[in-house]
Amino acid sequence: MSEQRQGEISRRTVIASAAIVPIAALTAVSQTPPPSALSDAQLRLLAAFVDRLIPKDELGPSASESGVPEYINRSLGDYLAGEKTIFIEGLQATDAFAHRSQDRAFIDLSPDKQDAVLTSMESGSAEGFPNARAFFNRARRLTLEGMFGDPYYGGNKNFAGWDLIKYPGPRLATSADDQKMGVDIKPYRHSAYGSGETHGH
Amino acid sequence: MAINLKPVDVAVVGLGAAGGVAVLPLARAGLKVAGIEAGTWMDPAKDFKPDEIHNNVRSLVTTVPKAKKEIPTFRTSPDAKARQAAAHPMMNAVGGTSIHYHAQSWRLKPWDFKTRSETVKRYGANMLPKGSTLEDWPVSYDELEPYYDIVEHEVGVSGKAGNIQGQLDPAGNVYEGPRQREYPMPALRTCDFLDLMHKAALSLGWKPFHAPAAINSQPYRGRAACAYHGYCDRGGCHVRAKNSTCFTTIPEAQKTKNLTVFDGAQVTRIVADNNGKVTGVLYIRDGKEYFQPAKVVLVSSYTYENTRLLLLSKSKAYPNGLANNHGQVGKHYFGHWDAQAGVGVTALFPMDVNTWYGAMLSQGVVVDEWADDTFDHSGLGFIGGASLCTFMEKHPIAGASVPTFGRAPAWGSKWKQFIHENAGRFTGAYLQTNSFPYENTYLDLDPEVKDPLGDPVCRVTSGPKENETRAAVYAQNKMEEWFRAAGAIEVIKGQPFGPALSTHTYGGTRMGDDPNTNVVDRWGFSYEAPNLGMLGGSVFGTSGARNPTLTMQALAWRTGEHLAKNWKTIAG
Repeated sequence: MSEQRQGEISRRTVIASAAIVPIAALTAVSQTPPPSALSDAQLRLLAAFVDRLIPKDELGPSASESGVPEYINRSLGDYLAGEKTIFIEGLQATDAFAHRSQDRAFIDLSPDKQDAVLTSMESGSAEGFPNARAFFNRARRLTLEGMFGDPYYGGNKNFAGWDLIKYPGPRLATSADDQKMGVDIKPYRHSAYGSGETHGH
Repeated sequence: MAINLKPVDVAVVGLGAAGGVAVLPLARAGLKVAGIEAGTWMDPAKDFKPDEIHNNVRSLVTTVPKAKKEIPTFRTSPDAKARQAAAHPMMNAVGGTSIHYHAQSWRLKPWDFKTRSETVKRYGANMLPKGSTLEDWPVSYDELEPYYDIVEHEVGVSGKAGNIQGQLDPAGNVYEGPRQREYPMPALRTCDFLDLMHKAALSLGWKPFHAPAAINSQPYRGRAACAYHGYCDRGGCHVRAKNSTCFTTIPEAQKTKNLTVFDGAQVTRIVADNNGKVTGVLYIRDGKEYFQPAKVVLVSSYTYENTRLLLLSKSKAYPNGLANNHGQVGKHYFGHWDAQAGVGVTALFPMDVNTWYGAMLSQGVVVDEWADDTFDHSGLGFIGGASLCTFMEKHPIAGASVPTFGRAPAWGSKWKQFIHENAGRFTGAYLQTNSFPYENTYLDLDPEVKDPLGDPVCRVTSGPKENETRAAVYAQNKMEEWFRAAGAIEVIKGQPFGPALSTHTYGGTRMGDDPNTNVVDRWGFSYEAPNLGMLGGSVFGTSGARNPTLTMQALAWRTGEHLAKNWKTIAG
């Protein structure tokens, strides 16, 4: 063995503990939901926020009725744990901006005034809230994931998201008829995990 | 101290799309092969799910987070500071990214191998992209044809030939190079939307055809046919109809008893002696370090890691990294200009197109009139072009993310109304632009960012290019024409800005006849370390206007066969 390689190997041995961790260990499905990432007050604010993005109307239930806050809360408790702090700061900054611009907590504003707050954030014109646009876009993106993702993760309750966009549902095989145009494909209201029930994740 | 293992004939680093193919001709020739793979085996029944959050949002179709922990840094010019990208495009498992790829399985065109000389001949040297380091490949289409044929059958490709020994058939791609015989399986099934696009292309006088795919259109060699369930993109196939190497060539090689798969084994260095020959590889498995001695080492760990492994493997004979005494490792890098590079086109139709289910690009209709040198480029200011592909498969979160085409706000009740009506009425197109290497597009080691082992990650330098931008815009306009002919009422075209990290990247260990500008020779072996071979996109000198995997596999088979036939010379 050359001297070169010996030096190489002893350095390696020191750091060998940093070796491969199976991804299953990082993403293990827990039997019970993770501890809540958000406080009750933060969850109420989040529900009010996402309900302006997806309001209850004649086309169906709102985001919060469909479990979107639950999806986001669970995600911030496990898969998106690294994002939890910055997300909570975004919620707090939203409320602070509501107080500054509309004189009230976000949840106490009328829907129109809540929309005005969100519109300022979306356009990046929310004064004193430099990350408003990034936070708005992130919250909107997570709302889409919660509303239209598999119900397994806590959102899309009663398949409200899939019904809204007329997505016929995941299945293991589709026939040629399922790919036809101009026919209504019968919705298959099942989670990829076997039922409509949500699970801890 | 590393644990010394029993010597083998060949160590293959990475059992993905390329390495997973090379092991088969080697094992069949009787050579003892160690297949060393950072990832582990996946179980189709348990690991592959029709779940957009699992597959697409969280990229969890992988077994170990190796790639996720060594994400390259990226910058658009050599003067800029590189920042670590958000995600690595590849996965780690036995079978590698051939598990969750789209599986379109193309041959490159004869022109792709001779782009430089053909361009000079037809248009003059002025038409060569400025600043490019373009060379002809040392291999021609005709030389590679027998190997394309082998892998189409060994891996399993569905498609319709357009040119069998010069006999053209408009049901296939009449612009392809001549092939010796038909595909082993017919193309994947068509459907109403693809028929609509097919008819629209014909109405424009174009020659549409169904995409070739490494997905079974019918049962093949004991594996099932495609179920078209619509979770092919970044998902593995639950019925093993996608011909990932973990279902095809790797098990076939294991049957010979000459291949031993070491999974969960992360190669950290390739070791060379003072005479410049490689002697084996070091890897870490379950926290222990091993040295696998080998007479020949083949490196097939994807473009970024191929370059990084060589640059990290410094020794007395190779002070600047293995096989890098000519300073060519990492050079001539480039990425494909495709949807991830801003070359997207999105269309809205006045009716539901029902593209929810399918097999992504593999269940697609393609137009090839505007790619390569199929059309006259005089006065256009660019060479190349793009293949245009429309396809079946759309996931619900992506469906709800439909652009509003200026017809609605992005949230609230009016937006709900918009997506209710239109999530099923829009679709995208996949354009792949002929892309080339340049003097200022390259890979090296990042000076600051390190992986958990303390090794620098790969740094990517790759900026926008005029030739590719023009070609992409030209092709996008053709795509718009095609969508409009099919009845689209709105079309949005992306702004091409150039590739960042991608599953379609090339170069770094380029193959060529000149040892001063290339790392490997026409057979894929290093000019400097004679018993070191390189496999994968890292040896490509041009991209073609299509997916790279089949060409990687044809080259991998050819390198493996060449090694077996010339064992004594190469192994020494």
